[in-house]
Amino acid sequence: MKVIWSKFLEIKWGNYSLLALYISVLSGVVVAWQYDPATPFYSVSTIDLLIPFGEYFRSLHFYSSQFFFLFCICHVIATFEQAQQYSRKQWIMLTATLPVTLLILFTGYILRGDSTGFSAGMIAEAILLDLPLIGQPINNLLFSITDNGMKRIYVNHIVGFCLLWGWLAWSHVKKYRVSFNNHIALTISILLFSVFVAAPFEPDHLGVTYISGPWFLVGLQELLRYFSPMVAGVIVPSTLLIAIALLQKRNRYYRCLLIFIGCWLFIYAILTLIGFLR
Amino acid sequence: MQKKPRVLELSKTLTAGGFHTGPDYILFDNGTEAWALSRKCTHLGCTINYHEKDDLLECPCHQSRFSTKGLVLQGPAEKTLVRYKVEKLKDGGGYIVTI
Repeated sequence: MKVIWSKFLEIKWGNYSLLALYISVLSGVVVAWQYDPATPFYSVSTIDLLIPFGEYFRSLHFYSSQFFFLFCICHVIATFEQAQQYSRKQWIMLTATLPVTLLILFTGYILRGDSTGFSAGMIAEAILLDLPLIGQPINNLLFSITDNGMKRIYVNHIVGFCLLWGWLAWSHVKKYRVSFNNHIALTISILLFSVFVAAPFEPDHLGVTYISGPWFLVGLQELLRYFSPMVAGVIVPSTLLIAIALLQKRNRYYRCLLIFIGCWLFIYAILTLIGFLR
Repeated sequence: MQKKPRVLELSKTLTAGGFHTGPDYILFDNGTEAWALSRKCTHLGCTINYHEKDDLLECPCHQSRFSTKGLVLQGPAEKTLVRYKVEKLKDGGGYIVTI
């Protein structure tokens, strides 16, 4: 166990994250050339079926983004000790990049406009609209699918959330330069992975009895079955984000927060498993 | 903001007990009456499907179930489905659905 942990710590997860981010942004530009938010489903079908290498670039964009998120999580875990030197403000800003990254992934998922993507968007909208007073303006700012289709989500996906992520992470990432030449194996792995595994795309099938959201939201989807959107979609996820934002060793509730985060993730993993088994 | 109603024309005529699934609505005709229901689940807005075998509508996200009249049969949804105005045209001319 100790050997695995030390090997885990040796891996340069931060470099891997940045590399995956580069690939995600570059492939995203290629996908955006062909994507039209006015006709999302038709547009993605066209990219997959008619545009030369369109399916490949969509897959590359999808999986490099997923790898980016996973590498980011590994990076946070592996460098947690070193991150203790950060001020509270720096730590809060860096941990805020995690939900913003999730929002970028999630909006990309909605933009497909297929049956699961569209439903995921409607659920997000319903959760926001359940928030008293601020729900409507936040929805107008972030999603607004019912009134504006994919227009606002598209702008937020390619510009708004990316600028926000950049602002939150800039003081951290500006110090690092990652070159493709130094990570040829990882670059080739991501490029090849996307050749063999297509990005998901699920047309509307009449009579389908179960659809699930992206893997990181399956637990939340399960929770929405039992609790109101306010509790399952806002309060429960917020408690995790607040706990992570406060998780510094100098905090006197450090151990309590650690236990809380562990329990939260364990329960969420079980809910995710239940969701996948449906 | 209140949305402007959309008027959709369906040129085919359904047989008694038949149904037609559009992107936003499901139209039913039992021979004497025609009605249309929204496909937007009243729980969280997912697109529901009609299951002909069980004669009910079900949401694929959280499995809320509704009768063909739009009434809730099984939660988590609590509200009935939105019902749209349907005009059945004479002499098999089809339907006009206002959504």
